[in-house]
Amino acid sequence: MTVRTTAPPELAVTDVTVRFAGLTALDAVSFTVAPGSVHALIGPNGAGKSTCFNVLSGLCRPATGTVRLGDADLTRLAPHRIAALGVARTFQNIVTTQGTVADNLMLGRHALSRAGFAASALRLPHVRREQRAHLARAREIAELTGLGHHFDSPVALLSYGDRKRVEFARALCLEPSVLLLDEPVAGMNAAERARTVEVVHAVRAELGLSVVLVEHDMGLVMRLADEVTVLDFGRAIAHGTPDEVRGDPEVLRAYLGTGAEQEDAA
Amino acid sequence: MSERLSRAGAVRVGWTSAAVVVLLALPFYLDAFWLRIGLFSMAAAIGAVGLGLLSGTAGQLSLGHAFFLAVGAYGYVWLAGEPGPGLPTAPAAVLAVLLAGAAGGLFSPVAGRVRGIYLGVATLALVFLGHHVLLTADSVTGGFNGRSVPPLELGGFSFSADSELTLLGVPFGAEERLWYLGIALFAVTWFTARGLLRGRPGRALVALRDSETAAAVMGVNVARHRSAAFVVSSMYAGLAGVMLALSFRRVVPDYFGLVLSVDYLAMIVIGGLGSVAGATAGAVFVTALPLLMTRYADQLPLVAAPGTTDGTVGPTEAARYLYGAAIVLILLFAPDGLHGLVRRLRARLRRRRAAPPPVGTASASLPPTSAARTKEPTP
Repeated sequence: MTVRTTAPPELAVTDVTVRFAGLTALDAVSFTVAPGSVHALIGPNGAGKSTCFNVLSGLCRPATGTVRLGDADLTRLAPHRIAALGVARTFQNIVTTQGTVADNLMLGRHALSRAGFAASALRLPHVRREQRAHLARAREIAELTGLGHHFDSPVALLSYGDRKRVEFARALCLEPSVLLLDEPVAGMNAAERARTVEVVHAVRAELGLSVVLVEHDMGLVMRLADEVTVLDFGRAIAHGTPDEVRGDPEVLRAYLGTGAEQEDAA
Repeated sequence: MSERLSRAGAVRVGWTSAAVVVLLALPFYLDAFWLRIGLFSMAAAIGAVGLGLLSGTAGQLSLGHAFFLAVGAYGYVWLAGEPGPGLPTAPAAVLAVLLAGAAGGLFSPVAGRVRGIYLGVATLALVFLGHHVLLTADSVTGGFNGRSVPPLELGGFSFSADSELTLLGVPFGAEERLWYLGIALFAVTWFTARGLLRGRPGRALVALRDSETAAAVMGVNVARHRSAAFVVSSMYAGLAGVMLALSFRRVVPDYFGLVLSVDYLAMIVIGGLGSVAGATAGAVFVTALPLLMTRYADQLPLVAAPGTTDGTVGPTEAARYLYGAAIVLILLFAPDGLHGLVRRLRARLRRRRAAPPPVGTASASLPPTSAARTKEPTP
């Protein structure tokens, strides 16, 4: 299997607006994910983080604005086309399918393999070869994400943390250039969190991909992210490095409510 | 580990070949009544595997399966018969399967877009439309009385009782010959359906059923896979239709009604959704039960012999009651069907053999209840 060696293309979100009936979920949001960086999207509940992910992965079409990945325009593409271009995501609530970990990871190889209905039904030799090669790569990714010993276990029997990891590994199986992680450590205990942070570091070092991260755990965001965009009520209210964002008065107001004394305390 | 796997593989191969040998030997021992049950079961199994692929694996309900069975059956009769193009029977059978696939393809603008139970309602229309056409298009379908089915001929060998044939002292009539055709067609169905389910298309269809969003985000073209599942399912139905026509030797419109579609749904639910073996088991159960009950009606309590009208339950109705009850029982106690039931029994046996539990704690070694399908709300 080919592992991409060049730097991933830049992901540019420009003036994206999403409206659901009367509600403006995203209001002219713009940010750019630099190639190979970890970019965090943070904000209070309902700020539009998940909507933003849905726009990036094609599940939700913006009213205005564009999303570009390198030279490709993702704005009006169907989700499966965006996936084929190398944008993979995980979900906030775990969305795995029935079957073993291997089955789930092989679903991640879908866009990279060719076997159609007729060829699979007849079990042609090239189909079996392709399947074997992809299974080998899926196993590598399982090892990388610490799922190696669960590779043939049914997903339904795994612990919560492991199921989150299955989603993460499945997204990696797409060999993405951009990985969208929606709350990768939500509901995990400290040990599992530390393990996930390690894995994110490892895949970034090994696969050289860009990561967009939605997360409520500020400690984790500050440790992982190169750059942070803060959303509040659908607007991007701050950009910058974790340190810059931490001191931004607008951000403190969004998170803690107004009050000069709170600002001073921070 | 690998040693155990290879041993399990050897055991599996042993069982499969034993089953095949028994199946191949049966026509030498069974009379026509039992062989006919076998033929109908095999035809139903082929159709049920197709519906299982669509409804069990891809999660798309179809009530139109009878329509595609009819396209296969009548397609063969028309293509091979008079009036009709009068093609040689073998190509007519292949074309009938393709015709059913094409009919499924024509419906794919709907099948690709409409999801789950809504597709069930949309396909309902097909059954009524099909039935109406079968009754009115006399020149093609023969109208209410139907048409007789030309027997299949392969390289000079006729699957009928026209020519004398005796093997090992057993006269080979139409049933005996069709038995081997049925086994061959079922083997093809088994091989191809398992290949599909275990390959890339099968995984994509399972993903579609469990979460359309996850499937799309993982690169599965949702509409295309839904349509393809529908077309493939129609082709299996077409093949089952051809096999049914050959077994019945006469096709009539009333057979291909809504009840037949419901029967096929019952087969895959009783057998266990999403598995080829399950669909087969369900097909045999649903097909054989009414025939057996009709045959042995006089020996059952509370069931009247065929032809009597003294107010008791007739054998056909009794069979319906029984399999209605079977569906309810299976849904209550084995929601994963006969297939799941067998799998759990096997797991329990294996556990018991591995570590014989001390007396009195047998209940503690119960296997965990099968985990429900992980189905999450999509964002």
